[in-house]
This record gives sequence, C-alpha cells and structure tokens, in this order.
Amino acid sequence: MARVPMPEQPVEERMSNFHEVPLGYSPEQAIKEAKRCLQCGESQCTVNCPVEVDVKKFLKELSEGRFREAFLTIKESNPIPAIAGRVCPQEDQCEGACTLGRVGSPINIGKLESFLGDWAMENGVEEDFSIQEIPQKVAVIGSGPSGISCAVDLRKKGYQVTVYEALHKAGGVLQYGIPEFRLPKKVVDEELSNLKKIGVDLMLNTIIGQNLSFEELREEYDAIFICTGAGAPRFLGIQGEELNGVYSANEFLIRTNLMKAYKFPEEYDTPIVVGDKVAVVGAGNVAMDAARCAMRMGAEVTMVYRRTRKESPARLEEVHHALEEGLNLMELVNPVRIVGENGWVKGVELIRMMLGEPDDTGRRRPHPVEGSEFMIEFDTFIEAIGTSPNRLFLERAEGLEVNRWGGILIDENLQTSIEGVFSGGDAISGGATVIQALGEGRKAAKSIHEYLRTARAPKEYK
Amino acid sequence: MVETGFRVTSKGLLNSDDYLIEVEAPIVSERIRPGQFVVFMTHENGERIPMSVQKTEDGKITMLIKKLGKTSLELFDYEVGDSLYAVIGPMGNATPIKRYGNIVWGSDLVCGYAENWAHCNALRGVEGNYVISMQTFPSKEDVYLEEELRAVSDEYYITTLDGSYGRKGHYLDILEELLDEGRVDIVFACGDIGRMRDLARLTEKYGVPARVVLRQIMVDATGMCGSCRVFIDGEMKLTCIDGPMFDAHKVDFDEVINRLGMFKDAEGKAKERYQRQRGNR
Repeated sequence: MARVPMPEQPVEERMSNFHEVPLGYSPEQAIKEAKRCLQCGESQCTVNCPVEVDVKKFLKELSEGRFREAFLTIKESNPIPAIAGRVCPQEDQCEGACTLGRVGSPINIGKLESFLGDWAMENGVEEDFSIQEIPQKVAVIGSGPSGISCAVDLRKKGYQVTVYEALHKAGGVLQYGIPEFRLPKKVVDEELSNLKKIGVDLMLNTIIGQNLSFEELREEYDAIFICTGAGAPRFLGIQGEELNGVYSANEFLIRTNLMKAYKFPEEYDTPIVVGDKVAVVGAGNVAMDAARCAMRMGAEVTMVYRRTRKESPARLEEVHHALEEGLNLMELVNPVRIVGENGWVKGVELIRMMLGEPDDTGRRRPHPVEGSEFMIEFDTFIEAIGTSPNRLFLERAEGLEVNRWGGILIDENLQTSIEGVFSGGDAISGGATVIQALGEGRKAAKSIHEYLRTARAPKEYK
Repeated sequence: MVETGFRVTSKGLLNSDDYLIEVEAPIVSERIRPGQFVVFMTHENGERIPMSVQKTEDGKITMLIKKLGKTSLELFDYEVGDSLYAVIGPMGNATPIKRYGNIVWGSDLVCGYAENWAHCNALRGVEGNYVISMQTFPSKEDVYLEEELRAVSDEYYITTLDGSYGRKGHYLDILEELLDEGRVDIVFACGDIGRMRDLARLTEKYGVPARVVLRQIMVDATGMCGSCRVFIDGEMKLTCIDGPMFDAHKVDFDEVINRLGMFKDAEGKAKERYQRQRGNR
C-alpha cells in the first residue's frame, strides 16, 4: 500500500504567499497512513530518533483513532512535536529506518507527528503532570530548540527555570531562521506558550554578556545551560562582499522571517531589497530557505553549489519543493569574486569545480578547475555557507573554554570547563538539526538534575 | 530582571527636524556607558533601530532623533504616556573613559550631538583631560544643546554652515586651526559620514589619532546578521559588536557610505506611505 499523499499548496499558488506548503493530513488520512505501520519488532525508527520518540506506539494509537494517547506518547520524548514533525530530516532518521522503506515508501512519520501536534493545539490537549517545587534556580541562555527542551524537562522536575533570549521573540532559529512556509510562526508561538504555562520565566531582549553579564548569572543561578546557537554568519571572504545587494543568509532570513520584511511596507517596517536575479551560495537547508523566500518575493534564483545535488545536506522535501518552485540549481561551481557597479552587485565570477576524494564528512571534496572562470549577471548575492557560534557571548564568558572555531568545549555530560555550566545545541556542534539540539537539551537537563541533586546545596535566596 | 514599560516621559522639538524623547528604561539607564547604544522598536511590527543615548536620569534615557524615516516620524507621534514596544540595550562597546590629554569632540548631526555630550560629560571627569567640544549646524534656528555642551566642556566652538550663528563654516575648519597649533592629542567625532571621512584625512595628515562612531544599518545588533559589516584595515568587523567606535584612519569610508544607502528607496516608500496615512487621519 502506498503512502497517503500529502495535500500541498499548488506551486503557482504558493509562489505568491508565505503560507505553509503541505496542507496537513485530515484525521481520516492520518489514521489511514498510520495503519500502514507494520508494527515490526525492530523499532529502528525509535533507535534512529535523536530523542527516541516511541514511534511504533504512537502510530498504533493514532491508527486506532486515539489521538490524545498518541500525542502524549510523543510528548514523553519530544516537547515540540508540531515543530519537529515539520523540520526534522526524517529521511535520515525515523523514516530512513522504516522497514516499509525497503519495499516501498516509509511511513510519513514526520507529517503524522505534526498532525498530532496541531491537533493537540487545536483541541487544547495538554500533558497532565504536577510539579513539585524545588528552590534551585537554573538559567537557560537561548530560547531555541535545545533551550526549550532543557527548560521544559528541568521545570517538570520542579526547578525554577529562567530562559534568556536576546531577540524580541522567542524560539531562536525556529523564529528567525526557518521560513513561515516551512514552519508557521503561529505553531512556534503556540508550542512555546507551553513554557510559560508550566511556569518557565522567559526574559526577552536580554543579551547575556551585553546587558546582563555571565558573572551576574553565575552568582544568581545554581546551574546554567548555554544554548546560544550558531548565529554568526560566515562570509566567503571574496572580493565584493561590501557591495549593496550582498547578504548573509542570516540577514536575509532574519529580515524575512523575524522582521517579516515580505510584508513591508504594508504591515511591517523592516525593508528588504531583492533583485530580479538572485544567486544563493550553498545548498543546505538555510540556502534552500533563502532561495525559496527570494522566489516568493519575485526573484529568479540560481543556487551556486560547489558540489552536486547528491551531496546537498538539505532535507529531501526542501530540495524537492525548491526545484518544484523553479530553483535553478547550478552544480560544481564556486564564486571567485562579486563584481559591482555603482556600489551594487552586478554579477558574480564563478569557477567550475570537480569532485575528488571524500573528506571527513564522507562527501567528495570539490576542487577548482583551473582557468574555468566565467561571469553571470546577478543583482542580489546571498551567502549561505554556514554559521559560527556568536562571539558576542563567548568573548565575554570568562573561563569558558572553546575549540578552534568557537564551539564550546563539553564533557560527556555536556558540562563545560566551568562547574555547573552546561552547553548544547549549535553552540557546541556549530550547526546541526533542530532535533539534535532538542536531544542535547534533554540530555543537559538530565545532567543538570544529576549535578544539582548530588553536587551542592541550593544558593541562598533572597 | 526584565525591562518593560518603555513609557515616553517627555518629548519636544529641538529644531524643525530633530526632537528629544525621554523614555523609561531602568536597566539601560543604569548600565549604559558612553559609546554604547540602544535598539528600539516602536511597535511589535516595527524596525529594530539602533540609537545613541545622550543622557540617563532616574531610570530614564534621553535620545535625540531626526525625523528622517517612517520609524522616527512615528515615534515623534508618540505622546507622553505612550509606550514603545522595546528598548534594548546597552548594545555595543563602551568607549574607554581614560586620560587622553587634549580631546576634540566634533559633531554635526543629531546622533553626533548626543554622543558628543555623553562622551564629554564622562571624559571631562578624568584628570589630565582637556575637552574641546565643537558643533556644526546648518543655520542659527537649528542650534540646540549648546548650553549643555558648554557645561561639560573646557572649551566650546559652534559653527553654522550659513554663518548665521557662531563661526561660518564647518567645525573641521576650527579643528584644522587647532591641529596647526599642535593643541590636539586625539579627535572623536560622530555625525555626517562624508565629513567624518574628511576628518579622517585631515587628522591623518597631522598624525593625530581619530575615532569615529559609525551608525551602520543593523537588524539584530547582536552579531547575527552581518548587515553592519565594515572593513577596518581590510578586515571585516561588525559595527554592532565590534564597534560602534573605530579608528577613523582604518575605516573604508567609501564602502561605509555606500552601504548606508542600501535601503534608501524602500525607506523613502515607507516614509511617504506613513505621511500619507497620517495626513488622512
């Protein structure tokens, strides 16, 4: 039996809006899809999940129409199912391990997960638990996926948890990075509202290391979880990056997603300038997001990638949607310099690449083909070549050891070089998935609980 | 430890374009140091605008703002008692307040006047500093902050471009005279970017160090977007977290000036739209 197809917004329709592309399963469709599960003995889906959601169990419950139970089963391991179901690279995780995938198409686990998350929100279904208060205080720096999961777990154990967020909206990369058409901000806000409901304090507009110091936090809290993400853009370092029309993908996405520049000037005040012909460098999820945003703002977008589509680290669904939406994916090319005219991007000089031996990521390493340079005209140039941990915090966190590229050093329990200070998410890994960050948040919560339970008495509280 | 409220406590025109606005922001007020700035948002859908703070008092901050784009016009329409959506800060790095010797602080634009006052107020308290403030305005009716600046300076000069008040011309003319006399150990400036480029050239000629406050276009102002990148001695720096003050002799001013114009058309549209709507009200 084939997968129950996911209804989607038709291409021509969705190119003029930022609404979500998949329209979601109806209850009947969801039950039908869940029924396909063989309930096989291996449960590789769970083994392959960074937070070990009991997939088999929730599919069984869902297939029997027991939505509430199915939802609560997911919630035991994943505090944000409506989000994770939308952004996880399922093909590399649960769905990639699905037995059905060997003979046909795997269960659409991601969409069933988000179906249940959405259903719970619409029907006001929540976890039922009571919190036994513990006076010890924990600060969580950053409100992205790992911060959320760490805060929720610690709060459920009874700790007094405060989450600090630098921006004016919570969610970290979920808010500023991932576009509306992939992850509606209503879903983010809704799943985050749960934090407040269970008594987590959320401090927006508070930049640790800037308007509140790390030392002050250390004095006030019994333990700290640093999940400041990898928010600093990397630039290629080529000629012409000062030109107008050159964006880091971060800037392009922050303007678009956090500041809603695509609704400028009618509803929002932050502008964005998108030319007719846009080049996006890179081919990961962020590159796909930037490209698809630009296409929705009317641009013709060419993705320039030094490897081939096969090596792209983006989610399959994103590549599929982007190509469907008219993305021109140019493989085996790399920008050499950006050429300007009157201070604006005019074109890009590219060089052809060829693939050599595999590197440490297992992907074949690209090499430039000498003398193969050529020019293409563009008026906007977006660099999506990765991000680094934000140095604003790191430079001002005394005693915190980092590695060569700024990732925070941790031990096997996610504790940093400072006792009682833990870290997880992109701040340690440099740029991974939402679900991995979420898993690390949960692991950190366990370590922090262990640390606070055994290591010390609570600080004196005023 | 959360900042809320951001109520406007005082507001007034300084000249036909510039206004003063005082806003409640206790944490910023307590913590901000000269050189640092704030980011404000008028409402939830607003821009994040970086802004100088002239002074702080009793949990309130005073900003001097030019009616330039949509957001600054809109903020001017806020009445005493209205609340901003957010005032975030302090952002950026504080200027080291230490002994510099004979200091010239020059300003010829709204944010510059604010920075001028904030810095001189602090620098003058350091033994061994002699603070010379200079202001330039287009014309006599534009002048403000003169008395306040005089009060925090050892020496003060004012010029107007049309000569209707003080000396005719730009403060750079007076600076050049002082440089000729060998009376200057360091120059600070904030204001018109083109004139800061001139200032950089002038001081370089005399071998006198110069520092300028840059106000590039920012979004998050925490080092995440890279919009405010500038090239200092060829190296990419972010104005928000590496600045906002830089060695004037190392700034690539042409590039800085160019980047300031990136959203000019869009900003113009938003401003027109706001004025039209406002007129209809």
